[in-house]
Amino acid sequence: LFKVATECSVVLCCRVAPLQKAGIVALIKNRTDDMTLAIGDGANDVSMIQMADVGVGINGQEGGQAVMASDFSMGQFRFLVPLLLVHGHWNYQRMGYMILYNFYKNATFVLVLFWYVLYTSFTLTTAITEWSSLLYTVLYTSLPTIVVGILDKDLSKSTLLAYPKLYGSGQRNEKYNLNLFVLNMLEALWQSLVVFYIPYFAYRQSTIGMSSLGDLWALASVIVVNMQLAMDIIRWNWIIHVFVWGTIAATVICLFVIDSIWVLPGYGAIYHIMGQGLFWLLLLIIVVTAMVPHFAIKAFSEHFVPSDIQIGREIEKFEALNQVNHSEIPMRTFS
Amino acid sequence: MSVSGSESAASANKPKYSKFTQQELPACKPLLTPGIVIGAFSLIGIIFVPIGLASLSASQEIVELIDRYDEECVTASDKIGFIQDSKANKACTRKITVPKPMKGPIHVYYQLENFYQNHRRYVQSRSDQQLRDKDYKDPKAVAKACDPEATTGDGSLIVPCGLIAWSLFNDTYAFSVNKKSVTVNKKDIAWASDKNSKFGSNVFPVNFQKGGLIGGGNLNDKLPLSEQEDLIVWMRTAALPTFRKLYGRIETDIMASDEITVVIQNNYNTYSFGGTKAVVLSTASWIGGKNNFIGVAYVAVGGICLLLAMGFVVLYVVKPRALGDPAYLSWNKEAAEYSH
Repeated sequence: LFKVATECSVVLCCRVAPLQKAGIVALIKNRTDDMTLAIGDGANDVSMIQMADVGVGINGQEGGQAVMASDFSMGQFRFLVPLLLVHGHWNYQRMGYMILYNFYKNATFVLVLFWYVLYTSFTLTTAITEWSSLLYTVLYTSLPTIVVGILDKDLSKSTLLAYPKLYGSGQRNEKYNLNLFVLNMLEALWQSLVVFYIPYFAYRQSTIGMSSLGDLWALASVIVVNMQLAMDIIRWNWIIHVFVWGTIAATVICLFVIDSIWVLPGYGAIYHIMGQGLFWLLLLIIVVTAMVPHFAIKAFSEHFVPSDIQIGREIEKFEALNQVNHSEIPMRTFS
Repeated sequence: MSVSGSESAASANKPKYSKFTQQELPACKPLLTPGIVIGAFSLIGIIFVPIGLASLSASQEIVELIDRYDEECVTASDKIGFIQDSKANKACTRKITVPKPMKGPIHVYYQLENFYQNHRRYVQSRSDQQLRDKDYKDPKAVAKACDPEATTGDGSLIVPCGLIAWSLFNDTYAFSVNKKSVTVNKKDIAWASDKNSKFGSNVFPVNFQKGGLIGGGNLNDKLPLSEQEDLIVWMRTAALPTFRKLYGRIETDIMASDEITVVIQNNYNTYSFGGTKAVVLSTASWIGGKNNFIGVAYVAVGGICLLLAMGFVVLYVVKPRALGDPAYLSWNKEAAEYSH
């Protein structure tokens, strides 16, 4: 039964009891690692809805039992189309990117601290003042991540509905897979090396103090990871602008505040080092050098091995698309 | 968009429309076109190469004289014993010839190598409250912060406590140019913020360097900490194991081919741990000390970006692709291959 079912593109079952409905879902769910979705509107669909990975209930004429058992509920069957193609797709793209980005940004920061340990005779002196290290995850890099994870869209609603096959990108694991993870980690490695070693070679035999150099490393790390995010954001609205640039400004303010507390060893460090021309030169070259590989890889892969999503983005931007304003797809009739 | 129920029920169920909740905020959607890519790389290259060349030329103009003296200033075979002997004559004379004219103020530094001022236990061994305020006398907190140099053998508090102060550098240098002595200005070598707010003007050294192990220099008991600029400079812990600290400034110019004679009091013991000492004279510029790295780095990155720009130009010419053409969508491409 399973083999026959998987050979067909559509299987119709009629006259099915509720337990058999659940059994059909279980048949596919247990023997493959595909995600299953069940949609139903009546009390006899409850067991099927609960058995599937995603259960959708219709709030309609047969009462509310299906709705109470489901993960998502809606008013009509046709709303399944935007749920999957639009919101499902957006959710996949956002979650995939956010998880990869979170690993990357923390790895970059921690690796900078790690390279410094090699030069403190392997004692665990933190390169960056402890307050800044704490605030890194909490304030310096958290809000842009959250905002982009909520608001960013890779394709517009009309494009996703006009080309339903774009949904396949999620099914093919295009946004979250091992290759992307490894690439992210390599980028974290490269950027941490750039952030650490460029100031190291520039300040190697100088009078630089630990707090001053730590401030440069902290600011450079924050700017680099936020620039990486900025390069990957697809849709810039005003909220994203405020949070990305505002976070960098907040980081600078925090560095000033931390270095104005006389009890801490870094007292006055940021004022001193920002007055030196070398600081700004280093900041510029660190940010640019860290971003060049990411930019080059992005430019190359988007142009020469474009994914369907990329083509979709270009269609949106460059070609006049027949706007699909309603959340429906015209049914093809048989000729 | 629900159609169940009457009109009023439908409008009651409908959530209030706002661009934010419907995710329709106006947004710009930047896309990397070939023009943008080549333009960005070329711009970086065009900006960075001149900056790099300017930095290189600024660095080449700085005159820096480094003289390592710790090996040659101790002729005895037992170097550690010699250094620890308080009665030995530790004066040592070094001669440096100036290759290019040096415009004042010329900065004099002492440079230490293999000295880990960034060691975790060393860095923590200080009490900032004690340095600032003479009334701060919480013995438990001070002992915890400054261990092992917090109290003397009989339990009285050391001011300033901690390993950083205890290991104060105490070599001195006396300079003369062409046999005429020059004064080294030792005022204003520490940060003004440290002198004003971090080191108190009513805090005086107490019980300093009175223990069995002498770690470094002594302090004048009569001067408050805010005026002990050598201590203040030393307590700004250095980031890396090879570092310099400002010793003073020579305000006059020095001509080329002048001979500088330095009489060094070689007091500081770097022989126990294999560290090295050097005296450095350097002119100053906007780029800091003499370091070719930043110039070389800028030129290198600029050059690589220009190369990448040219590489992308070649690629775009060899393999052009019409942007936004639906024929490139994977199912359309498969259909096109299938139909052939």
